[in-house]
Amino acid sequence: MSDQPAPPAAPETPSPSPSHAPRAEGHTGGPPRRSEGHGGGQRREGGGPGGPGGPGGGPGGPRRGGKRQYFRKKKVCRFCVEHVDFIDYKKVEMLQPFVQERGKILPRRMTGTCSRHQRWLGEAIKRARNIALLPFATEL
Amino acid sequence: MDANMDERVYDLIFICRPATPEDEVNKIVTTLEHSTGELGGKIEKTERWGTRRLAYRVAKHREGFFVYMVVKSTHGDLIKELERRLKVSDAVIKYQTIRLDEELKRQQKLGKHRERRAGRRPRKQAPGAPPQQPVPAAAAPQQQQPQVPAASAE
Repeated sequence: MSDQPAPPAAPETPSPSPSHAPRAEGHTGGPPRRSEGHGGGQRREGGGPGGPGGPGGGPGGPRRGGKRQYFRKKKVCRFCVEHVDFIDYKKVEMLQPFVQERGKILPRRMTGTCSRHQRWLGEAIKRARNIALLPFATEL
Repeated sequence: MDANMDERVYDLIFICRPATPEDEVNKIVTTLEHSTGELGGKIEKTERWGTRRLAYRVAKHREGFFVYMVVKSTHGDLIKELERRLKVSDAVIKYQTIRLDEELKRQQKLGKHRERRAGRRPRKQAPGAPPQQPVPAAAAPQQQQPQVPAASAE
């Protein structure tokens, strides 16, 4: 939790070559893609978040360097998938998964919500709090 | 100035004390409807959510009787008047008015935009496939060609 890298950089499959893959999902925010192909300079940029041990900086061949020991599943914005254009503050059941037990709004890096929907979500949660549908903080 | 204003949509929620008799709630709702009518607004919807648990204590109550209304008005002073009435009544412990028309407008706009894009997409895919090949990598294209349809299908 404390050491979560901010961008959910997760190459879904190691096989697609870097030339056309970023184009296909450019609108999703473009996570830095660690390519196995050529271009060592680009690979360095991609290694920004710094995985455990920082294998990105390894001097090994470019093909091996792209292979990760861990695979982080790419998080997708739940609202984008369902094509939500308006987040209703009255639907508490919909907001509840994005609120911690104590009432905190969960950060984007945990839930995978896109920035636009996170903005709307935050607003909706604050409205719901104001009319006592959601807690500001749970009492002990 | 008010005459030029577009019609606005507001969400109005108020919470009554849990012990409030039904008549009293009805009375509040009627007064609100009355003053809305007087000031040239319209109440689109009134919902009684009934007694619900509050997320935190309000006026020493843990539960409250929720009433939800949708108000339409071109006159901004209407909300002022409604809120004044809610503030004055003893049974009401909390209320909130939210202007929603801009968000509803945005919702409609995005919906339309998506429809238009969905209509356009199948046409764009066919001519879009060939220009994807001439990308920096010179040796790759031969291997990429079979992969392109697979990637776009995702």
